[in-house]
Formats: sequence, C-alpha cells, structure tokens
Amino acid sequence: MSQLIISVGREFGSGGHEIADKLAKHYELPLYDHNLLREVAASMNVNHDELQPYDEAKKNRFFSRTVRGMSSSAAHNVAQLQFDYLKKKASNGESFVVVGRCSETVLKDSPALVSLFILGDKDAKAERVMKLYNKDKKDALELMEEHDKYRKEYHNSHCPGKWGDSRNYELSINSSKLGVDETVKIITAYIDARRK
Amino acid sequence: MLPQILAVVIFVAMFILIVTEIVERHIITLGCAVLTLLLVFGLGMQSMDAIVQTLNVHSIFTLDFWYAAGETSEASSGINWETIIFIAGMMIMVEGMAHVGFFRWLCMRIAKMVKYKVIPIFMTFMILSFILAMFIDSITVILFLAAVTVELSQLLKFNPVSMILAEVFCANLGGSATMCGDPPNIIIGTSFGYSFADFVLNTGVIALVALIFVLIYFYVACRKELTAGNAKLEELSSLPSPESAITNKGGFIVSCIIFLAAVVLLITHAQTGLSVAFIGTFISIITLITSGKAALSLLKKVDYKTLLFFVGLFVVVGGLEETGILEILADFIGDISGGNAKIMIAIIIWVSAIASAFIDNIPFAATMIPVISNLAATQGVNLEVLSWALAAGTDIGGSATPIGASANVVGIATAAKSGHIIRWGKYCKLMAPATIIVLIISTVMIFARYL
Repeated sequence: MSQLIISVGREFGSGGHEIADKLAKHYELPLYDHNLLREVAASMNVNHDELQPYDEAKKNRFFSRTVRGMSSSAAHNVAQLQFDYLKKKASNGESFVVVGRCSETVLKDSPALVSLFILGDKDAKAERVMKLYNKDKKDALELMEEHDKYRKEYHNSHCPGKWGDSRNYELSINSSKLGVDETVKIITAYIDARRK
Repeated sequence: MLPQILAVVIFVAMFILIVTEIVERHIITLGCAVLTLLLVFGLGMQSMDAIVQTLNVHSIFTLDFWYAAGETSEASSGINWETIIFIAGMMIMVEGMAHVGFFRWLCMRIAKMVKYKVIPIFMTFMILSFILAMFIDSITVILFLAAVTVELSQLLKFNPVSMILAEVFCANLGGSATMCGDPPNIIIGTSFGYSFADFVLNTGVIALVALIFVLIYFYVACRKELTAGNAKLEELSSLPSPESAITNKGGFIVSCIIFLAAVVLLITHAQTGLSVAFIGTFISIITLITSGKAALSLLKKVDYKTLLFFVGLFVVVGGLEETGILEILADFIGDISGGNAKIMIAIIIWVSAIASAFIDNIPFAATMIPVISNLAATQGVNLEVLSWALAAGTDIGGSATPIGASANVVGIATAAKSGHIIRWGKYCKLMAPATIIVLIISTVMIFARYL
C-alpha cells in the first residue's frame, strides 16, 4: 500500500475526532492525537508530564523571545518537537492519521498528505457536546467557544495560515448535514479517488 | 513640541512591536527609522542637518573612524557604524571558526581533559563559557556549548538543564568583562572612545570577582542534580573524539591564528590606535581570503538582520536625542537622585538590570548612552563610572529571565530540542538569585572603587 497521511482539523463538537478514529480503522492506520506527545517524550527519554501542559498551547508573544529562529517559548518548543516527529514519520514513509497539531501545514510538503477540516452547525455541535459531556446547552456552547478559541489561537500562533480557512485544507466538510458515518463514507470515497 | 511627541511615539511603538514579535525586529526598527527620518526630522524639525547627523555616513570616511578613534572622548550621535562594522567582522570570523569545527573541538577537548566527569565538566564549561564570551558573541558560545552539553548528558546520563543555564549565565557575565563581549559594551566603548583595556580593568575586574561567587552558587544549587548521572565506563567509548569535530585541519589552524590575532589586536588597540571598526574589517577580510571557496557561504551566514536591526535602532534613538528627549530623561534622573552620585549610579545599575531582564538590552543601552552623557555633563558625575554602571546593569540584568538576553533563548531552545522544556519558573528560580548576587557585587564594587 502506498503511503497515506490523513490530517484532521476540527471544530469542537463536530465529531472530527470520531471521524479521524473511523478513518484510522478503515485504512488500518495508527491514530495520533494526545498520544503523540507521549510517544515524543518516550523517544527522547523524558517525562511526558513536563511536556503535556504545552500540548496544543498557543505561543505567548509577550513572555517569549525569538533569536535567529530559536524561541524561548515552551509552547513553541513543544509544538516543534511534535512537528519534527511528524515530519520524521512522514519522511520515513509511515502512514497515519493525525488530529490537529497544525499537521495540515507541517506536512503540506508530503505528497501522501490528505488534509481535512471538519466543521459543523452550531446547534448540532451543541447537541453532541451536551450528550457527550452531560452538559446543558449554555455550558455546551461555552465549552465549544472555549475549545475552539484555544485551538484557533494555538494554530494561528504556529502557522501562517488561519485555522479553519478552507484554502489551507484539501477538503472542508460540514459533518452536521450527513452525520458522522455518512461523512466518513464521503471522505473515504474522496481519499480512494485521490489515491487512484 | 511636535517633533518630541513624534519621536517618543515612534520609540514606544518600536519597543512594543519588538516585544510582540509581530514582524521580525529588523523590519520594525528600519520601519520606525524611516518614520523618524520623515516625521521627526522632516515634518517636525524640518532639519536636513539632523538627518545627516543621525545617518552619520560621513564618519566612515574620516581617519578617526579607522585609526586613533580610541582617543575620541565625545559621545557620537546617530548610527554607530563602528559598532555595526565591528560586529559584522566578528560574525564572519566566528562563522569561519565554526565552519572548521573549532568550538565543538574545544568543548569536546575540555570534556575529555576532565575525564568526562560531570561536576568537573560543569565547572570547566562555565569557565569556558565566560572566557569565550569575552571575545565572541554569546549566541555562538551557547549554540555550541549547549549542543555539546546535551550530547554529553545523553551519554553520561544527567539532566542538562542546570548545566546549560549555568553556561548561559557565565556567557552573559563573560560578555560584560570586555568591550567586544556584549553589544551594549561595544556601543558604550565606541560611543565614548573607551579601549578594550578600559573595560577589562573596570567591568572585567567586577566580572572576574563575580565569577568566583557564581561558580560557588551554581555548584551549591546544582550539584545534587548533576551527581545523579552515572554512566558506565564502556559507554564513554562511544563518545566522539575531539579531533573528529575538526572538518579541515589546515583551516582549523588558520582559524586559531586569526582568532588569536583578533584577541591581540583588540587587547592592544589603545596602543596601536586601530579602531574596532578597523579590526573587524581586517579580521573579516583575512577570514574570507583564507577560507577560499567557503568564503561565499561564510558571507551568506552573516546575521544581516541583526546588523539592519542596529541601523534602524540607532536612527530611532537619534530621533530622541536630536529632539532633546534624552536630556529631559537625564534631568529627571538627576532630580530624583538629588544630585547624589551614589543614588544615580544605583539607579543606572538597577534600572538597567530590571529593564534588560524584560526587554532587549541593545536598544536600552543605545538609548541610555546620551542619557548618561548628559548626566555627566549636568550633574558632574564621572562619565566612566556611569558607563561601567550601565554596562554592568544591562549585561547582567539580561540573565534574570528567559527573554532577557539572546544567549538565554539559544540555551532554552537547545535544551528543548532534546525534550527538556525550561519554563519561566524553573529558569528564574535558578538564574534570578544569581543575577541579584552579581548585581549586588557590581554595586558594592563600583561604590567602593569609584565613589
């Protein structure tokens, strides 16, 4: 099988993670999300707990400084460790599915990359969050706003392109219209067509 | 009034933009420099003379610029081309040394000399960092020293963080010891016509005394963490030999000779009358000639962005100077100190240190040059003492926080590449007390010696 890397960006509550999981199962590929940092830490023989607070964290411009491309920002440095790890895997010919982590930008030079962004209607996302996290609608909306803000700030502080901007992804799809399973079918059809 | 307001607004905007890193800092200073030329000098002052004075290009074509500049005692204003040309020259020499493997060889040689024992490596690397930073920029020193420290830590099984931080501190301290060690010192030296020996005999003595305390402090603070490492003897055989670092034996010898020549020329420049601009130009030409085919790649590696950053910065500071803002600031310092030299010196040291802990010390030092010059003229305080206080404050203060100096950033980023994340808390816990100790030593020594 030729190399396949699927990058999944997602809005909170859109079912992006579930879609990534189903794509990984469908193509029998490893899925990287929070576990990526654990693998990075293990490969460097360092404590994962030291890196974890900076997973998908934005770079604080006021409390960091850049010198000749090097940064004092812990968030930047942890992000770079993950980016380098992903690039290494891609250049080694490995196939995988990766959720977030600026992967659509970091791996854009890899011909094996298929980059996706999963979005959703506000009400549908809220309903999903209410069910998954056992929250009322107000709390669900707050949680969605908080997570999306966090993801956006993280992405935009590490990448030149904007988070969720369809020009940065091969395929942007609203999962609320067809539901998770049908969305997965459409994506797999696209990926299969793309790989022919 | 309008030119003054414009100059201050541009200056403050420049600082904020530098801190936020929205665009690269050389673009910020150059952009602000253009605004200074157009708005402050053009629209506000309508003075062509101020523009010519600030651009200062004519100074390059005078004999004083290249020869016997050390005898000048007047503070120069506008773009300090002597600083820029000297730094460019040293960058080329350092790139030449790095290209042939000099720094890596030196680090590996010293590690081997102390038989790869962690504590002796820790102590000798701190001293090596101090000595190298006296002559070359601290970024290069830490770039190589920290990389070798990480490599040794993986083989000797110790956590490299405290060792890297101690090296960073000593690089900043070593930089304060000489005229060419840290950009603020070059700016101070070339602005007031001080020699290499002037710095060594004043800030150098302070730095050397402080180094003794710093070595003790870091040993006490880090020894437990470092003695935890315990490598097996057979693992040491996998260490690369120091000689393997040398990429070109002939080039290595030539690089060593050029470096020694640069050191000798700098030490003797007060006697020979050669300016640091001359030394920088001479050393860079010799490096390029002897590098052969590698000359072009050395030129490409020069950090032009930093040089452009300096150009823009000097113009913006020139705007403050020409409009008299810095005189007002000097008068303010004079007023709050009530004309008391001790209070004035303490303010210069500690305010410079606190400011340098959070903002780039280069623009701060460049701004303070006309301020201390005015203070000396109006308050009758010895300019040399104010200069040493400014050098000590700006050079040392930068060590206190992760963003205070370039070497700190390089050390943190190098450690991070091996998975060792240095947070603000971890950094400041070790480095801030050391900074305060050295600042107290500096204050006491300046008070005892000069006042």
